[in-house]
Amino acid sequence: MENEQLTVQRAIDGDQGAMRALWTRHAPHIDVVVRRLVGQDLDLAADIAQDVWIQIFRALPSFRGDAQFGTWAHRIAVNRTLNALRRTRRTAAMEVDVEDDSASVEPEAERAMLAASIEDAAARLSPGARTVFLLHDVEGYTHEEIATRLGITAGGSKSQLFKARAKLRVMLAHLLEAPSVKSQPHTTGHVAPLY
Amino acid sequence: MSHLSTDRLAALGDEQPTPAEAAHIASCDACAHERDAYRSLVAMAQADRASLGLPLTRWDAIAAVLSADAPTVAIPMTERLARHWPLRAAAGVLLLAGGAMLGRASAGADLLPSAGVSRTAATVPAPASRTLRIADSAFSSVDDARAAQRRSEQLYQQAVAYLARYDSTATNDGSPLAYRSRLAALDRVISATSEAMREAPHDPVINGYYLTTLGQREATIRQLSTSLPTSLRLDSF
Repeated sequence: MENEQLTVQRAIDGDQGAMRALWTRHAPHIDVVVRRLVGQDLDLAADIAQDVWIQIFRALPSFRGDAQFGTWAHRIAVNRTLNALRRTRRTAAMEVDVEDDSASVEPEAERAMLAASIEDAAARLSPGARTVFLLHDVEGYTHEEIATRLGITAGGSKSQLFKARAKLRVMLAHLLEAPSVKSQPHTTGHVAPLY
Repeated sequence: MSHLSTDRLAALGDEQPTPAEAAHIASCDACAHERDAYRSLVAMAQADRASLGLPLTRWDAIAAVLSADAPTVAIPMTERLARHWPLRAAAGVLLLAGGAMLGRASAGADLLPSAGVSRTAATVPAPASRTLRIADSAFSSVDDARAAQRRSEQLYQQAVAYLARYDSTATNDGSPLAYRSRLAALDRVISATSEAMREAPHDPVINGYYLTTLGQREATIRQLSTSLPTSLRLDSF
């Protein structure tokens, strides 16, 4: 996006048209990051998203152009949202493991747990597990980066991630399994898997 | 070897198996099936990153807050001058030239000096049809004109959005397909104006077209959003 740098410069100069252009182009991406991390509370997500954009424009003079504006704004969105969630105590139980109830799911219960989409399924995870999963698998953060931001260890981040994936794998089974594979009977001679 | 644990299979969503694990997966349909499911899950999550959602924010609300703390946003004039000296210099030249032209016009001369015309000839009063309209302008300065231009653009965009929503005589059937077609067309316009801006990055007309098109795109996205079921996400346009 060759002309984005020019738009950013004009926004730094206080040109509201340029600011609006940046918002128009990037809001669909930034707003969805906030909504993912916040979960189902759309009012809270809207409040945080507005706060994120105000922070982005206030911090714009410090934007050096080392990264794309979208990447830079994305980082602000994630950090600001995590801080806001921390303030609202939504991540107070970050260190608490998700309940490992993904084992031996009965067919009826499994049907009730099926989710329509990955966002729907992630919303049913505990706040800590959801945050780690979204940051790692969706947003592409490393476990070290996640550990720094959430105040946990990299090992704790991994543990949360794997348990989150296990729950999501059950909730999204109907979307993840190819019909030909799904219909195959479990005929193995050794110890049954934990899933 | 027994089946791989759930945690290990989950890890294999984006990690490589050890040689022992790989050998087991090669001979165990159940574990291979689970490993593939986790890989699909991770791929699905990565693909979700590119998806778009319904807008959560409104520009007027953001602009109101930013306007309230404008001094915080503003940067020192010296820094701005240093950063944009070519643009400032061009603006200075424009103002100087404009002032000279205005002076010439008020004296009844041609707007631009001509190499082939003598000083005496240049003092001949201009025909009435050549009268400089800027003398009758409603604008007192460039900033005044720019502010008026911004107001007009905003009013224009609001009018377009209003008509799109309430004008029953419009040919657009309000279907998601129609909005997507419009978005595709607007994207082509944005691409063309972007190309033009590379040639003339400070041209106010091209900048105006570009920003107006972005505004139209934003309005269309919002219209498309309202035309879709609430649960449906915008993931392609």
